[in-house]
This record gives sequence, C-alpha cells and structure tokens, in this order.
Amino acid sequence: MSEIALFGAIEIGLVYALVAIGVYLSFRILDFPDLTVDGSFPLGAAVCAVLLIAGVNPWLASLAAALAGAAAGLVTATLNVRFKILHLLASILTMIALFSVNLRVMGRPNVALLMQDTVLTPFYGLGVPDHIVRPLVVGAIVAAVVLLLARFLSSEFGLAMRATGVNARMARAQGVDTDAHVYAGIALSNALTGLAGALFAQTNGFADVTTGIGTIVVGLAAVIVGETVLPARALALALVGCVVGSILYRLAVQLALSADSIGLQASDLNLVTAVLVAVALILPRLKAKASRSTARNPGAAR
Amino acid sequence: MIAVEDIHVTFGRGTPLEKHALRGVDLSIPEGQFVTVIGSNGAGKSTFLGSLAGDVLAEQGRISIDGADVTRWDTPRRAGLVARVFQDPMAGSCAALTIEENMALAAARGRRRGLGLALGSDRRKGFRDRIAALGLGLENRLHDRMGLLSGGQRQAVSLLMATLAGSKILLLDEHTAALDPATADFVLDLTRRIVRDNRLTTLMVTHSMRQALDYGDRTLMLHEGRVVLDVAGEERAGLDVPHLLALFAKQRGGAEISDDSLLIG
Repeated sequence: MSEIALFGAIEIGLVYALVAIGVYLSFRILDFPDLTVDGSFPLGAAVCAVLLIAGVNPWLASLAAALAGAAAGLVTATLNVRFKILHLLASILTMIALFSVNLRVMGRPNVALLMQDTVLTPFYGLGVPDHIVRPLVVGAIVAAVVLLLARFLSSEFGLAMRATGVNARMARAQGVDTDAHVYAGIALSNALTGLAGALFAQTNGFADVTTGIGTIVVGLAAVIVGETVLPARALALALVGCVVGSILYRLAVQLALSADSIGLQASDLNLVTAVLVAVALILPRLKAKASRSTARNPGAAR
Repeated sequence: MIAVEDIHVTFGRGTPLEKHALRGVDLSIPEGQFVTVIGSNGAGKSTFLGSLAGDVLAEQGRISIDGADVTRWDTPRRAGLVARVFQDPMAGSCAALTIEENMALAAARGRRRGLGLALGSDRRKGFRDRIAALGLGLENRLHDRMGLLSGGQRQAVSLLMATLAGSKILLLDEHTAALDPATADFVLDLTRRIVRDNRLTTLMVTHSMRQALDYGDRTLMLHEGRVVLDVAGEERAGLDVPHLLALFAKQRGGAEISDDSLLIG
C-alpha cells in the first residue's frame, strides 16, 4: 500500500468514524436500528456542497449539513414514536424519501466542488502535504465530537438517554420522558452522519446521491470492529473504539483491494463489507456455541 | 395522601378478550399509612398499582395525590410523586448501567434533567453513604454494573433508589416474590425500615396472607376489580390467616378458594 493510499484510508476512516459514532448512538445506546443514515449521509453532503457553491462559509455549511441530518432523524423518530411505525420500517421510509430530497437539493445527481473554499482550505500550503493535512483536520473534528459526546452522555440528560435504550419501563418509572430521548438521540445520530457527509464532500470534492448506499453497513462494521479490538465498558472508550474500528475497517478494505493476488477490485467493496459484517455478527454466536459444548463436554475441546 | 374515586379500567375494550380489570375502586389512604394488598390472580392488584403509577390510565373516576388531580398524568410525570419497586429485580433497574448511574437516574426523578454531570464527586459521596447504610458492602462496588448483583441486592438497591428523590409514595408490586425466603425476609425488613425512616405512604401487593397481616397497618383485599375487604387497627390486629381466608370465602359468596397461592402462609 502506498503512502497516499494509507493516508487516504485513514482519512476516509475518520470521516466515517462520525457515522460509526452515530450508529453506536442509535443501535447500541438507544437500541433503535436506524437506517436513516443511508439518506442523511448524502443529504449532509448535498446540503454542504450546494451551500459552498452559493458562497456560504464552509463551517456554516457543515453546521447546516448537520442540522439537515438532525431533521431527517426527527422524521424517522416521529414516524416511530408518534405514529408507532416499526423503527426499522420508519427509517427505511425516511431513507427512500431522502433519495428524492437529495436530488432536489442538488438539482442533479452529483455536484463537483472544484474551486470552492472548504474547511480544509486554510490548512493547505502550511508546509504539510495535502494528503496528510486532510486526515489531521478531520481527525481534530472527530476528536472534538468524541469529547463533547462523552461529556454529553455522562450528563443527567445523557444518562437518561442511555437508560431509555436499556430499560424503557424503568426509565419511565424514574420520570424519564423516553419519547423525548428517542427524538433527541436519533436526531443527534443523524446530525453526526450529516456532518460526516459534509466532510466527505469537502475532502473528496464532490457530492453524489449514490454515496449513501450501504452507509449503515459501513457504520455498523466500524462499531463491531471497534467493539472487538477495544472491548470497553467505559463510554468514552467505546466512542474511541468506534473511531479506531472505522479506521481499521478502511485499512483492511484498502489492503484487500490493493493486494493484487486476491483479485478484488474497487467495485467489490460493498460485497466485502457485507461479508465482513456478517462474519463479525456470526462469530460471537459460534464462539458462544463452542464454549457451551466445551462446558458440557470438557474433554472434547482438547 | 392518596384519594381514589370510583376508578374503572378495561383492557382490550370491544375485543373478545375484553377484561374489566377495575370496577369502581374507592379508596382514601392518609399520609404515612402502610397498606398491604392481597387478592387472587386477576383480582386487579397490579392494575390498581399501575393506575396509581400512571402505567394504566383510568377511563372513569378520579385519582388525586397530595391534592393534585393526577388522573390524566402519564408515568414520567407522576414519577416525582410516586416511587416503585417491581416484582422482577431486572425490571426496576438498568442492568447495563453501574450502581451509581442507576442511583443518579433515580435521584433526578421528578426534576428536569439538564446537561450537568450526572455523577459529581459530592453526589458520589452521598450515594456511597446511603448505600453503606444498607449493610451489604455495596459501597465499594458503585462502579459495578447493576447486572452483576444478586436479585436480593438489586431489590435492596431499588428500595434505596425509591427514597433518593424525596417522593412520599412507595408502590411495591410483589417485590419479594422472585426471591428465596431468607432474602425475601431481608428485603421485607429493609422495606419496613425504609418506609418508617422516610415516613412513606406505602402500598405493598403480596401473595402471602401472612405478610399482608404482619407488615403495615391496613390490609385491602381485591376481588374481581373491587375492594372486598378493608381492615385496619384493632379489627386487623385480631385477624389471623384462617380468619382472613374465611372472610375471603365469605366475600366470594361462599365459593371455594381454588387459588393455591392464597393459602401460602
């Protein structure tokens, strides 16, 4: 793997780390399987790209992308909480609707960012090569998000959100308005995904409606890889695990694609990802089964 | 003070499984009273407790707590007034959160939850002192996940959690039914202590007639969604389990008691 490819993998891993953290919030903390991210990621990219072309400040454009993501999350949460549609289905409905919304936002399937200033522009030309600047800036943003989110989740509000996901009945008996916490959590999760979309558009120089496909699987893969390499109970560490998992996942993919002997090509990415996630989900089950049969029959394992 | 006026609750209205679970319960419970509630399966005990807690909204009648009409309040809104311990030790706490996190959740009951730290050092110290008073040695395990505790320990912590936010009403829904006899006795003694120390108005549902008479100062018997027996003071002091059974049989129009669980002393 070349140096450029290595830093490229780290960079895209850091961008998707925000998706991984968002997925961790919905899947793990709220126990709410939310596929909205497949739509809110390109939504963030689209909103950011369109605003950049209109000459808006890149930080404001990124913030707007996060808010757009949050709004998408609120739609899913409303369908589920208010109208009692199954969470999975509610999020699929929003995701499908967002495909059309994203086309409307951009006015065409993809938008190129060529000469526009991005959040990265001020850091170019300071003596550090561009391919290293990008992961550094994105990494700083991710670090800030991890710190803020860790602090948020240890607040009274954040603790109530965690309780909502673990034991909603108990949370309600303790006076937690569980509905409000689902709204807030899913909005936050998709805001992070929207922000990731904005960073994706700015680091790659384009926004495209199709970039959203499989976002949820990539995010989930990162969460699972992170939980495997960093099995932490502490929340802050679990968030770091999401980041580490996302980078490791990208490095593994890069390695697989660049090893000519395996014969994979870039278009195999989604297949590789799906297989990886499936294996990661199946492994713990097989492990548990193995240890059960060992417990029953101690001699057999040796 | 709890005032319940003619509340009715029906489940599955208009379906073949329609169940009229509460059929006009009228009750007034003065502040600080410890009431035990008995009745056979399906008598409406849990529904009655649920209707006080807000899980079940009465379709008719009125419930007021401390002078406030709470009839239409949902569970989270009533949580500032009412604390609960469930039958299932798993139900009353979050297994995946630590002991101190569970306590912090309970301590914020009835308050707005803001962005302040849930566990500051002052609060940690307060929790440590409170949990040390249980005498279970849990003060050194505040960082352990709740799921690591035994059922009895979890019920003890749940009882403690019920006192952290200063609510004056405690609802116990067969909170010792899932425990072994020795642990159940410990939790019951703890219940008595906590109720007395915090001067809580308490309703305890139990399957055991013995417990119903030994604990508290008033006993209610529910049958088919109505209060069929309400004894306190001298009359109650003179009662024994066989008397209670006889009274129960009489209330049912002399029908034989088929529910074995009622016979358990």
